[in-house]
Amino acid sequence: MKFKRRAMKADVPSVAMGDIAFNLLIFFVILAKAQDDSHLQWQPAQAKQLQGFASSKASVLIDRENKLHLNGKEIGQAQLAKGVGDILGSAPQGDRTVLLKVHKDATAMYYEAVIEAISEAGGDLVHVLEEKQ
Amino acid sequence: MRHERITKKLLVEPAAVATGDIAFNLIVFFLVCASTQPDTGKRQDLPRSEQTKQQEQKSQNIELALTRTRTVVSLNGDPVKVGELPARLRRLLEGKRSPEDRVVVVKSKPDVPYDHWIATTTLIQDLGASITIQREEERTVVVGQ
Repeated sequence: MKFKRRAMKADVPSVAMGDIAFNLLIFFVILAKAQDDSHLQWQPAQAKQLQGFASSKASVLIDRENKLHLNGKEIGQAQLAKGVGDILGSAPQGDRTVLLKVHKDATAMYYEAVIEAISEAGGDLVHVLEEKQ
Repeated sequence: MRHERITKKLLVEPAAVATGDIAFNLIVFFLVCASTQPDTGKRQDLPRSEQTKQQEQKSQNIELALTRTRTVVSLNGDPVKVGELPARLRRLLEGKRSPEDRVVVVKSKPDVPYDHWIATTTLIQDLGASITIQREEERTVVVGQ
Protein backbone atom coordinates (compact mmCIF):
# COMPACT_ATOMS: atom_id res chain seq x y z
CA MET A 1 0.00 0.00 0.00
CA LYS A 2 1.31 3.40 -0.94
CA PHE A 3 1.00 6.46 1.24
CA LYS A 4 0.72 9.77 -0.47
CA ARG A 5 3.03 12.41 0.89
CA ARG A 6 1.50 15.71 1.54
CA ALA A 7 3.55 18.58 0.24
CA MET A 8 4.49 20.81 3.16
CA LYS A 9 3.96 24.47 2.63
CA ALA A 10 7.00 26.46 3.71
CA ASP A 11 6.33 30.19 3.75
CA VAL A 12 8.28 33.04 5.23
CA PRO A 13 6.04 34.24 8.03
CA SER A 14 4.66 37.64 7.15
CA VAL A 15 5.08 38.71 10.78
CA ALA A 16 8.85 38.87 10.17
CA MET A 17 8.53 41.44 7.37
CA GLY A 18 8.84 44.35 9.79
CA ASP A 19 12.02 42.89 11.28
CA ILE A 20 13.51 42.29 7.83
CA ALA A 21 12.73 45.84 6.72
CA PHE A 22 14.26 47.24 9.93
CA ASN A 23 17.44 45.21 9.49
CA LEU A 24 17.75 46.35 5.88
CA LEU A 25 17.33 49.94 7.01
CA ILE A 26 20.19 49.61 9.51
CA PHE A 27 22.32 47.88 6.87
CA PHE A 28 21.90 50.76 4.42
CA VAL A 29 22.48 53.39 7.11
CA ILE A 30 25.85 51.76 7.84
CA LEU A 31 26.66 51.57 4.12
CA ALA A 32 25.77 55.24 3.66
CA LYS A 33 28.62 56.21 5.99
CA ALA A 34 30.97 56.70 3.05
CA GLN A 35 33.61 58.54 5.08
CA ASP A 36 34.07 55.76 7.56
CA ASP A 37 37.53 56.01 9.09
CA SER A 38 36.70 54.40 12.40
CA HIS A 39 39.22 51.61 11.74
CA LEU A 40 42.14 54.06 11.73
CA GLN A 41 44.32 54.63 14.78
CA TRP A 42 44.67 58.23 15.93
CA GLN A 43 44.26 60.36 19.03
CA PRO A 44 42.86 63.90 18.72
CA ALA A 45 44.52 66.95 20.26
CA GLN A 46 42.58 68.80 22.96
CA ALA A 47 41.13 72.31 22.94
CA LYS A 48 38.37 74.33 24.59
CA GLN A 49 35.08 75.75 23.27
CA LEU A 50 34.55 73.36 20.40
CA GLN A 51 31.64 73.25 17.99
CA GLY A 52 29.84 70.23 16.56
CA PHE A 53 30.12 69.51 12.84
CA ALA A 54 27.60 66.95 11.67
CA SER A 55 28.01 67.11 7.92
CA SER A 56 31.13 67.36 5.81
CA LYS A 57 32.09 66.67 2.24
CA ALA A 58 35.40 64.99 2.99
CA SER A 59 37.51 63.75 5.86
CA VAL A 60 41.32 63.80 5.86
CA LEU A 61 43.18 61.85 8.53
CA ILE A 62 46.82 61.54 9.57
CA ASP A 63 47.16 58.45 11.73
CA ARG A 64 49.67 57.37 14.41
CA GLU A 65 52.14 56.26 11.74
CA ASN A 66 51.84 59.59 9.85
CA LYS A 67 49.97 57.87 7.02
CA LEU A 68 47.52 60.06 5.14
CA HIS A 69 43.92 58.98 4.45
CA LEU A 70 41.15 60.63 2.45
CA ASN A 71 37.66 59.38 3.41
CA GLY A 72 39.23 56.30 5.01
CA LYS A 73 41.43 55.36 2.04
CA GLU A 74 45.19 55.82 2.06
CA ILE A 75 46.43 58.51 -0.31
CA GLY A 76 49.74 60.17 -1.15
CA GLN A 77 50.45 63.76 -0.16
CA ALA A 78 50.89 64.79 -3.80
CA GLN A 79 47.43 63.49 -4.77
CA LEU A 80 45.57 65.05 -1.83
CA ALA A 81 44.72 68.48 -3.30
CA LYS A 82 43.30 66.88 -6.45
CA GLY A 83 41.44 64.23 -4.45
CA VAL A 84 39.79 66.81 -2.18
CA GLY A 85 39.05 69.05 -5.18
CA ASP A 86 37.30 66.19 -6.99
CA ILE A 87 35.13 65.43 -3.95
CA LEU A 88 34.21 69.08 -3.38
CA GLY A 89 33.45 69.65 -7.07
CA SER A 90 31.48 72.84 -7.54
CA ALA A 91 29.80 72.75 -4.14
CA PRO A 92 28.77 76.23 -2.93
CA GLN A 93 30.59 78.12 -0.20
CA GLY A 94 29.47 76.86 3.20
CA ASP A 95 29.01 73.36 1.86
CA ARG A 96 32.71 72.69 1.35
CA THR A 97 33.61 71.52 4.84
CA VAL A 98 36.64 69.24 5.08
CA LEU A 99 37.29 67.58 8.44
CA LEU A 100 40.96 67.32 9.34
CA LYS A 101 41.82 64.65 11.89
CA VAL A 102 45.46 64.70 12.92
CA HIS A 103 47.07 62.47 15.52
CA LYS A 104 48.21 64.73 18.37
CA ASP A 105 51.89 63.78 18.03
CA ALA A 106 52.10 64.16 14.24
CA THR A 107 54.71 66.70 13.21
CA ALA A 108 54.50 69.88 11.10
CA MET A 109 56.30 68.15 8.28
CA TYR A 110 53.10 66.15 7.65
CA TYR A 111 50.13 68.29 8.74
CA GLU A 112 51.23 71.63 7.26
CA ALA A 113 51.37 70.16 3.77
CA VAL A 114 47.89 68.71 4.29
CA ILE A 115 46.45 72.03 5.50
CA GLU A 116 47.97 73.71 2.45
CA ALA A 117 46.47 71.09 0.11
CA ILE A 118 42.97 71.50 1.62
CA SER A 119 43.27 75.27 1.33
CA GLU A 120 44.43 74.91 -2.28
CA ALA A 121 41.40 72.74 -3.10
CA GLY A 122 39.10 75.44 -1.69
CA GLY A 123 37.90 73.44 1.31
CA ASP A 124 36.56 74.97 4.53
CA LEU A 125 38.99 73.55 7.04
CA VAL A 126 37.72 72.14 10.35
CA HIS A 127 40.19 70.66 12.83
CA VAL A 128 38.60 67.72 14.66
CA LEU A 129 39.57 67.99 18.32
CA GLU A 130 38.62 66.68 21.74
CA GLU A 131 37.10 68.91 24.41
CA LYS A 132 39.65 69.82 27.10
CA GLN A 133 38.37 68.97 30.54
CA MET B 1 -36.79 38.28 23.58
CA ARG B 2 -33.75 40.12 22.47
CA HIS B 3 -30.61 38.27 21.65
CA GLU B 4 -27.52 40.17 22.30
CA ARG B 5 -24.77 39.52 19.91
CA ILE B 6 -21.66 38.64 21.76
CA THR B 7 -18.51 39.29 19.88
CA LYS B 8 -15.51 37.56 21.22
CA LYS B 9 -12.34 39.56 20.81
CA LEU B 10 -9.26 37.53 20.29
CA LEU B 11 -6.28 38.61 22.29
CA VAL B 12 -3.34 38.97 19.93
CA GLU B 13 0.02 38.94 21.61
CA PRO B 14 3.43 39.06 19.97
CA ALA B 15 5.15 35.73 20.22
CA ALA B 16 7.47 35.55 23.20
CA VAL B 17 10.03 33.85 20.99
CA ALA B 18 10.56 37.18 19.14
CA THR B 19 11.68 39.03 22.27
CA GLY B 20 15.32 38.10 21.68
CA ASP B 21 15.15 39.37 18.10
CA ILE B 22 13.59 42.63 19.21
CA ALA B 23 16.27 43.14 21.86
CA PHE B 24 19.01 42.41 19.32
CA ASN B 25 17.54 44.85 16.83
CA LEU B 26 17.33 47.54 19.47
CA ILE B 27 20.99 47.01 20.42
CA VAL B 28 22.07 47.32 16.77
CA PHE B 29 19.90 50.42 16.33
CA PHE B 30 21.41 52.21 19.32
CA LEU B 31 24.94 51.17 18.32
CA VAL B 32 24.44 52.71 14.88
CA CYS B 33 23.02 55.87 16.45
CA ALA B 34 25.99 56.13 18.83
CA SER B 35 28.55 55.69 16.03
CA THR B 36 27.12 58.59 14.02
CA GLN B 37 27.78 61.24 16.66
CA PRO B 38 28.90 64.55 15.13
CA ASP B 39 32.60 65.40 15.28
CA THR B 40 33.65 68.32 17.45
CA GLY B 41 36.31 70.77 16.39
CA LYS B 42 37.30 74.26 15.32
CA ARG B 43 36.95 75.98 11.99
CA GLN B 44 40.08 77.65 10.68
CA ASP B 45 40.10 80.22 7.91
CA LEU B 46 43.38 80.43 6.10
CA PRO B 47 44.05 83.21 3.61
CA ARG B 48 45.04 81.96 0.17
CA SER B 49 48.76 81.90 -0.50
CA GLU B 50 48.54 84.55 -3.29
CA GLN B 51 46.75 86.96 -0.96
CA THR B 52 49.36 86.40 1.71
CA LYS B 53 52.16 87.40 -0.64
CA GLN B 54 50.39 90.68 -1.37
CA GLN B 55 49.85 91.34 2.30
CA GLU B 56 53.50 90.81 3.02
CA GLN B 57 54.37 93.50 0.53
CA LYS B 58 51.86 95.96 2.00
CA SER B 59 52.58 95.75 5.69
CA GLN B 60 54.75 93.97 8.17
CA ASN B 61 52.80 91.09 9.75
CA ILE B 62 53.38 89.63 13.17
CA GLU B 63 55.62 86.58 12.96
CA LEU B 64 55.38 83.66 15.33
CA ALA B 65 57.94 80.89 15.16
CA LEU B 66 57.29 77.53 16.79
CA THR B 67 59.81 74.91 17.77
CA ARG B 68 59.49 71.55 19.50
CA THR B 69 59.87 73.33 22.85
CA ARG B 70 56.40 73.86 24.25
CA THR B 71 57.27 76.49 26.82
CA VAL B 72 58.86 79.13 24.61
CA VAL B 73 57.90 80.60 21.21
CA SER B 74 59.53 83.29 19.13
CA LEU B 75 57.42 86.41 18.53
CA ASN B 76 58.87 88.74 15.90
CA GLY B 77 62.25 87.22 16.69
CA ASP B 78 62.03 87.61 20.48
CA PRO B 79 61.76 84.53 22.67
CA VAL B 80 58.48 84.66 24.67
CA LYS B 81 57.15 82.29 27.32
CA VAL B 82 53.87 80.63 26.25
CA GLY B 83 52.16 82.01 29.38
CA GLU B 84 53.02 85.57 28.35
CA LEU B 85 52.05 85.11 24.71
CA PRO B 86 48.36 86.23 24.91
CA ALA B 87 49.27 89.54 26.54
CA ARG B 88 52.14 90.19 24.11
CA LEU B 89 49.98 89.36 21.10
CA ARG B 90 47.13 91.52 22.36
CA ARG B 91 49.54 94.44 22.67
CA LEU B 92 50.84 93.92 19.12
CA LEU B 93 47.32 93.67 17.70
CA GLU B 94 46.16 96.86 19.41
CA GLY B 95 45.31 99.55 16.91
CA LYS B 96 45.25 97.12 14.01
CA ARG B 97 41.69 97.32 12.71
CA SER B 98 41.71 95.89 9.18
CA PRO B 99 41.75 92.09 8.73
CA GLU B 100 44.86 92.33 6.51
CA ASP B 101 46.83 93.85 9.38
CA ARG B 102 45.56 91.28 11.89
CA VAL B 103 47.35 88.39 10.22
CA VAL B 104 49.88 86.35 12.18
CA VAL B 105 52.41 84.43 10.13
CA VAL B 106 53.11 81.08 11.79
CA LYS B 107 56.43 79.46 10.97
CA SER B 108 56.93 75.97 12.36
CA LYS B 109 59.99 73.77 12.50
CA PRO B 110 59.33 70.38 10.86
CA ASP B 111 59.27 68.61 14.25
CA VAL B 112 56.55 70.75 15.91
CA PRO B 113 53.85 68.40 17.25
CA TYR B 114 50.25 69.02 16.22
CA ASP B 115 48.86 69.55 19.74
CA HIS B 116 51.38 72.38 20.33
CA TRP B 117 50.56 73.94 16.96
CA ILE B 118 46.79 73.77 17.45
CA ALA B 119 47.02 75.23 20.98
CA THR B 120 48.99 78.23 19.66
CA THR B 121 46.89 78.86 16.54
CA THR B 122 43.66 78.57 18.58
CA LEU B 123 45.03 81.22 20.92
CA ILE B 124 45.73 83.55 17.97
CA GLN B 125 42.23 83.04 16.57
CA ASP B 126 40.65 83.65 19.98
CA LEU B 127 42.36 87.05 20.00
CA GLY B 128 40.57 87.94 16.77
CA ALA B 129 43.54 87.55 14.45
CA SER B 130 43.80 85.24 11.49
CA ILE B 131 46.71 82.96 10.81
CA THR B 132 48.71 82.12 7.77
CA ILE B 133 51.26 79.37 7.46
CA GLN B 134 54.70 79.96 6.07
CA ARG B 135 56.38 76.75 5.09
CA GLU B 136 59.95 76.09 4.22
CA GLU B 137 59.82 74.98 0.61
CA GLU B 138 61.37 71.66 -0.22
CA ARG B 139 63.06 71.52 -3.57
CA THR B 140 64.72 68.54 -5.14
CA VAL B 141 67.85 69.55 -6.94
CA VAL B 142 69.46 67.04 -9.27
CA VAL B 143 73.21 67.53 -9.28
CA GLY B 144 75.11 66.12 -12.29
CA GLN B 145 74.53 62.68 -13.77
